[in-house]
Amino acid sequence: MSGTGQRSLGTWNWRRIVRNMFPLLIVLSGIVLWAGITLEQARELLDEYRILAVMVPSMVGMGGNLGAILSSRLSTRFHLGTTELDPRDRVLWANVGAILALALTLFTTLAIGAYGFGLLIGSTVTLGQLLLISVLSGLSLALIAIVCSFLATYLSYRLGVDPDDTTIPIVTNVVDVFGMLIFIGVATLVLEF
Amino acid sequence: MALLSDVWGIYRQALPVLVVALGGGLFSGVILEGMVESVTTFTGLFVMVPVFLATRGNVYGALGSRIASGLHQGLIDPVFRRDERLLNAVFASFINGIGISVLIGVLTWSVLLVLGWQPAPLSHLVAIMFVAGVLTSLVMIVGLLGLIFLGFNRGYDPDNLVGPIVTTLGDVFGMLFLLLAVTLVEVTAT
Repeated sequence: MSGTGQRSLGTWNWRRIVRNMFPLLIVLSGIVLWAGITLEQARELLDEYRILAVMVPSMVGMGGNLGAILSSRLSTRFHLGTTELDPRDRVLWANVGAILALALTLFTTLAIGAYGFGLLIGSTVTLGQLLLISVLSGLSLALIAIVCSFLATYLSYRLGVDPDDTTIPIVTNVVDVFGMLIFIGVATLVLEF
Repeated sequence: MALLSDVWGIYRQALPVLVVALGGGLFSGVILEGMVESVTTFTGLFVMVPVFLATRGNVYGALGSRIASGLHQGLIDPVFRRDERLLNAVFASFINGIGISVLIGVLTWSVLLVLGWQPAPLSHLVAIMFVAGVLTSLVMIVGLLGLIFLGFNRGYDPDNLVGPIVTTLGDVFGMLFLLLAVTLVEVTAT
């Protein structure tokens, strides 16, 4: 690879991509490590109620997905200059309402799916308990995802950073951690008391 | 009411993608359930699971949106061939993906040591992450590029494809290869 060849590659040069991205990856892994420690701490709970393990990846991932959808919708609106975070803005409320409705649908489905698998492995946790755990954690998580997305998009816009570059990885990973904390907390409350 | 019809519009647009992601999440949950026993052998495995899965999203989400922008700008063509930009982007994601995986093993081991939880040997945790990292990277790169190119050639906006493809492939194959890596290290270590 000649020197000029490398220069014309610009931002596509692999060394540059790795150099720009690896530090961010380390920081994000450090944040999500917290979720992992929470999971390891809950080992006994998961050993006793193995059906909970089935819900773990979705609990970690789904909040981040909802946050990512909202963040990219918000940053597009900021880019287009159509929002000033006005509480009377109907589209902002429509986004919030849609995220909550999506969370309700998905976390109800998650509980039913996990219950179905539980029947196969002889789980003793009832559908009611699974619904309570899943929907309660899911809706709390959706609220956190909404607050995080607004905050991150607004702050990066204020700081002059393109929200497309930073908001999604930060919101996704932060919400991942909350997903795990809330899920383990709610599951402990519902099953142990 | 105007607000309700707005909500319904956004809901309907986002739901299919999220349902696919939920399917992937449930599938990897079933694999995780099967791994609960191995967790007793490898203290630290549960710590690494969420971090490993999140990293797949971070590395390949970035690769995917880079490829999507490249396609939009006409900088790369939607075919598998020796292209300097494509090779650089893919190689970078390979380095990032495997590098951060190995680092997760080291980080987990160190944190557990500090917490006084007696982690599994460092070599076991790193070996699990390395094997799972390499295998997942190969499948993610081929699968992600293949699906983006296919979608792009059929007229879909690659920006809308990247998120769901990365989440679903990452969850399913990340967990599958993690199980494979754990089994491999379990067999060779005993």
